[in-house]
Amino acid sequence: MQKLRKIFQFIFLAPLFIVPILNLLEIYFIKGTYISLDVGGLSISDPVAVLQALFISHSVRPIMLASIAIPAIIVVFFGRVWCSWACPYYLMLDGFEKLRKKLKLKPLKPKYNPEIKRKANISRLGIFITGLIIVGILGIPLMYLISPPSIMSSQAVLLIKYAYITAEFILLPVLVIIEFFFGYRIWCRYICPTGTCLSLMQSKFSMYVEYSGDCSKCQKCIHVCPMILDPKTDSLSSACNNCGECISACPDNKKRPTLYFKSH
Amino acid sequence: MSIWEEIKNTLNNFPIKSSYQINRMRPPGSCDEEMFMKLCVRCARCVEACPYRVLRRSSATKNGEIGTPYIYADIAGCQLCMKCTSVCPTGAIDSSTVEMQQVAIGVARINEDTCMNYLYSKVESGEIEATGSMALCNSCLNSCPLREEAIYLKDGIIPTITEKCTGCGLCVERCPIKPVKAIAVIPKGMPDAETAGYFHYLKRLGK
Ligand code: SF4
Ligand code: SF4
Ligand code: SF4
Ligand code: SF4
Ligand code: SF4
Repeated sequence: MQKLRKIFQFIFLAPLFIVPILNLLEIYFIKGTYISLDVGGLSISDPVAVLQALFISHSVRPIMLASIAIPAIIVVFFGRVWCSWACPYYLMLDGFEKLRKKLKLKPLKPKYNPEIKRKANISRLGIFITGLIIVGILGIPLMYLISPPSIMSSQAVLLIKYAYITAEFILLPVLVIIEFFFGYRIWCRYICPTGTCLSLMQSKFSMYVEYSGDCSKCQKCIHVCPMILDPKTDSLSSACNNCGECISACPDNKKRPTLYFKSH
Repeated sequence: MSIWEEIKNTLNNFPIKSSYQINRMRPPGSCDEEMFMKLCVRCARCVEACPYRVLRRSSATKNGEIGTPYIYADIAGCQLCMKCTSVCPTGAIDSSTVEMQQVAIGVARINEDTCMNYLYSKVESGEIEATGSMALCNSCLNSCPLREEAIYLKDGIIPTITEKCTGCGLCVERCPIKPVKAIAVIPKGMPDAETAGYFHYLKRLGK
């Protein structure tokens, strides 16, 4: 399953560079950025961005609702899978973790502890709400300024098409340094408004990690979880992004289903 | 100005949602500036759709315009191909804009003191002395996609802009006068003379 996830991640990384290049070749089948992608006339947008525009402008346009329909359906049925299966930033963090291992640097990952988990949840929600308030006061949908996937893709377009970048790019190098040298998935666990918004859209129909209730307690699942959760108890947590690392790591799964994805 | 007054001013003018600059237009079919700032989610789809690379992503942060698309007429004018109007996911650009005649993103104004044709006619009528060689230019007329409709030569010499002008800025791109072009586009909705540069020409023309 982890192989499949990697493949998905790379498939979703591809548009970042391929879309602008196709564009230069005058192929317009697929266009846009991760804020809003257009595949053969089908519009797929970042719900955070569109919801901001909707609330600020006090106008609901069919075109907006249509463009967040697909992400909304995906979240409702599969949970926060965007993060672990598609987000280019997450792929980069996966890469950093591997690279640090190769360079024999000390792992940055903190030990599981419910306190960390609680802090992360509060911080994420807090930042999301503060952001919404600021956006509401300014009346400009500026949340994209703190969304690494959005920045990555819009800057890739600019770089490839126009050979320049705009000011918001500055966030990326700062984050790269922090995430590589100082912290473990800081952005995704403590800040990202996109991830938070997606997790808020989860429902009781969403896929989640089910625990059979009994296992050999090897704690491998806790050890691998990138979001510092205990998969046995926290699979309904807003932080879990259904990456399935815990499921792949669980040795008991070979004997009988112990940890597995479940939809209601 | 004291710091207190400065704070007061900033707060009173807050939030600032529309800043204008001559020769800087929104893409064709955009709604009015304030609504545009609210609706545009800075997705850069329109920027990507523009085949002539004239639509650019703003890097300015002054009034929150960072990330929004602009046509910078001094660099290149819009070719009115209408590729960008159909891609906007929020309706900041109205997708029903399909004909170039529908476009009204600004209006061009000519600076009568530097335009070669104006100077030529002034020399001819004896208003001023010629100081060097004289030439007729007509570049703006020749570059206009609505030639003879949006711009025509009055008396065969004076380039004159009509209300059909779309504001595409192609004339600005081609005008040979340096360093400040003799023609400029005033974007739609630009408010007053202080911020408008050439705006006073509009007033003088009684528009
Ligand atoms: S939390 Fe944000 S940055 Fe992290 S994987 Fe999800 S969308 Fe990407
Ligand atoms: S609980 Fe499992 S599926 Fe959820 S984030 Fe952790 S490892 Fe991934
Ligand atoms: S109409 Fe065509 S040339 Fe003009 S800004 Fe839009 S895409 Fe670019
Ligand atoms: S396509 Fe629309 S929302 Fe996206 S950058 Fe252009 S104007 Fe803004
Ligand atoms: S292109 Fe410039 S100089 Fe030439 S006629 Fe037009 S405004 Fe005058």
